[in-house]
Amino acid sequence: MRSNEMNQTALNIFMVVLTAACLLPFLLLIISSFASEQSIIKLGYTFFPSEYSLEAYKYLWGESSSLLRAYGITILITVIGTSVGLTISALLAYPLSRGVLPFKYFFSFVVFFTLLFNGGLVPTYLVYTEIFHMKNTLLALIIPGLLTNGFFILLIRTYFATSIPVPIIESAYIDGASEYRIFFSIVMPLSLPILATIGLMLTIAYWNDWFNGLIYLTEPRLFSIQNLLNRMLTNIQFLQQNSFAGNNASAIAANLPTNAVRMAMAVIGVVPLLCVYPFFQKYFVKGLVVGAVKG
Amino acid sequence: MRLTFKFNAMLSLLLALALLLAACSSGGSPERENPTNSEGGDDKPVELVFAFLNVASIFKDLQKVEDEINKITQEKINAKIKLMPIDVAAWTQQTNLILAGSEPLDLIVSSATLNYSSQVAKGQIIALDDLIEQYAPDIKHTMPAEILAGAKLNGVTYGIPSVRDFATDYGYIARKDILDKHNIDLSTVKTFEDLTAIFQILKEKEPDMYPIVQRSQTVTIVTDMFTGYIDGLGNNIGVLNYDDDSTQLFNLFESDIYRKYSELAHEWYKKGFVPPDASTSQESNTAMMRANKAIGYLSNFKPGFENQEKVANGMEMVAVRITEPVSSSSTAASFMISIAKNSKNPEKAMEMINLLYTDKDIVNLLDNGIEGIHYVQAGDGTIKLPDGVTEQTYLATQWMIGNNALAYPWQGTAPDIWDQMKAFNESAKLSKAIGFVFDTTNVKTEVAAVQNVLDEYRPGIESGTLDPSTIADFNKKLKDAGLDTMIAEKQKQLDAWLQTQ
Repeated sequence: MRSNEMNQTALNIFMVVLTAACLLPFLLLIISSFASEQSIIKLGYTFFPSEYSLEAYKYLWGESSSLLRAYGITILITVIGTSVGLTISALLAYPLSRGVLPFKYFFSFVVFFTLLFNGGLVPTYLVYTEIFHMKNTLLALIIPGLLTNGFFILLIRTYFATSIPVPIIESAYIDGASEYRIFFSIVMPLSLPILATIGLMLTIAYWNDWFNGLIYLTEPRLFSIQNLLNRMLTNIQFLQQNSFAGNNASAIAANLPTNAVRMAMAVIGVVPLLCVYPFFQKYFVKGLVVGAVKG
Repeated sequence: MRLTFKFNAMLSLLLALALLLAACSSGGSPERENPTNSEGGDDKPVELVFAFLNVASIFKDLQKVEDEINKITQEKINAKIKLMPIDVAAWTQQTNLILAGSEPLDLIVSSATLNYSSQVAKGQIIALDDLIEQYAPDIKHTMPAEILAGAKLNGVTYGIPSVRDFATDYGYIARKDILDKHNIDLSTVKTFEDLTAIFQILKEKEPDMYPIVQRSQTVTIVTDMFTGYIDGLGNNIGVLNYDDDSTQLFNLFESDIYRKYSELAHEWYKKGFVPPDASTSQESNTAMMRANKAIGYLSNFKPGFENQEKVANGMEMVAVRITEPVSSSSTAASFMISIAKNSKNPEKAMEMINLLYTDKDIVNLLDNGIEGIHYVQAGDGTIKLPDGVTEQTYLATQWMIGNNALAYPWQGTAPDIWDQMKAFNESAKLSKAIGFVFDTTNVKTEVAAVQNVLDEYRPGIESGTLDPSTIADFNKKLKDAGLDTMIAEKQKQLDAWLQTQ
């Protein structure tokens, strides 16, 4: 009994430490975004800045036209990407989960194959830009994310195959329901946990995606918020590591955002997602366990 | 049974449709992507795409500027330019991908620090010698012959350097108000050692500020002192002196000059002139200046540098130049313009380059924007923001494209800055190996190992944090990592290169 309590306490302490390790960096991020630039340079990033300031957010407000646009782009591609991605994944996974599909194993293999192999960056880029002409279009931010989700499809397929009892489908069939009716009125509602899980994963993937923007976009008006942030940070890093700009480096540096602004941008990039997360959470846990244990 | 089959067939169809839909949703706006008529017919102007590096520029009005430029180019050479700025963050990735395919791209900024030699090796940029001769004969009058020749690789021109400062001298630059307050006259400073006395006064009078800060982890205090004397030949591994005729490479880190300046930096560090976290700090000198933590820093200079730093730091600056101007081996190739293999009209592209070096209106549009909107004449040959305009909507990073000497300087800069620059460039001591590029293919392992050692020791020693006695360990580790092999390989390449000159 006593050792059980001890165990419990030890576990609790461990969990508290773990949670702190996850949360403290966030806290530091948020506090730093409210610290004055002077304070950051004098004390570094700290939980107790010597001086607070809203300067960073004022700066971002001044830049609001380009930031709001980037925000808009991010939200747009996230909403479209997630809904279309979820629909495609479910539509693809459902037939794969049914025993009656002709060439079922072939199709499953095709999906599985994409998990292991892909065309590589250069061929992929060439196909998107030279065959589909997606360079500098929003499609370049949406389409690549839709096509590389073999893992999600297998997860959904497994869920359909194991958690939706075949008798339910058969009885609906006997009652005269069409296949569409069965899929949309019976299978989908029963699959909310896995759909919410995949939905959240897709949301996070689209929200955080900067790589597609990095390679397919040269038009600043199409940049998403993460792309903007990533470019800004890489620009700064580049200037610090390369003396190539020589005489001009400091002139450029003067145009770059300050430390606090970088933190503030990271905050506004991450906060919306943090707000969405709790709503998904209850499905998320369930869906993940179901998908993984029985898969 | 039949019903099931029908259903199955439909499912398969749906599945195929879903895949198809995803793959070929309409191709987006095609008019931007369409390569223009490549024949360059008599009536239809050719569109030339120009990729250049964007480093914190302001391009809100890029389209307007482009339209203005096109009015001129259409008339002069029946071609249009499509400006395509690419962030440094995305540069390597995007240019590699574009050059791997056949997207329209004609002109591209190239640089020895950004894959120039590999672009040449892969045939991604084309040889220019004949084209220059035929379509852009004026270019060679815009810069010293050594510089144009210095951009050659294996005797062939693949890039044309931009006209800018081709030389640099080194010294100390500091806040004018603080120096004036304590009656410090920098003109008495003749060597880096002379700075110690000044730092001592500053340290006592301004205890909250550091008299000297480091510019970055790679541009260290010691680097800023020796680079005026040492030609690093690209990477500081195997170097030459500027002031002798020897072409025998030596190890910089064992040299007297390296030890001398490391000792000086360490003395400054021990006396508290340098911030204690200098070897790890990620703050730039500009940030430290703006935060009132720094009084000055060592730097490379060019004419008009004080004014540029005044803009960057937001305060009046005064500088002392300690070393003589020098042009390093990579000066020429550090920013160039090249023609991509993707170009369907290399001749037109070369005519366009010619305009970038000879047409004052085009250069000013590209560098400063549209007169009356982005700048107005200040009356003395310089330009300023129009009255009432507070927000700049166009600001280009000027130094890398074309003939910058044709651009109007901004107010605050000397109106004759480009004459000064020309004299400065001509007074410089040239590297004995100008245009030599070290090909590291054969010593890749050594390069990586040596780089690790450099990263381990340089920030400590060169910020003054570590005692110079560690230089012995440093060299031992460098040698273990293969420093000598690298120097031998470089020497071999240098000798072969010198033969061809």
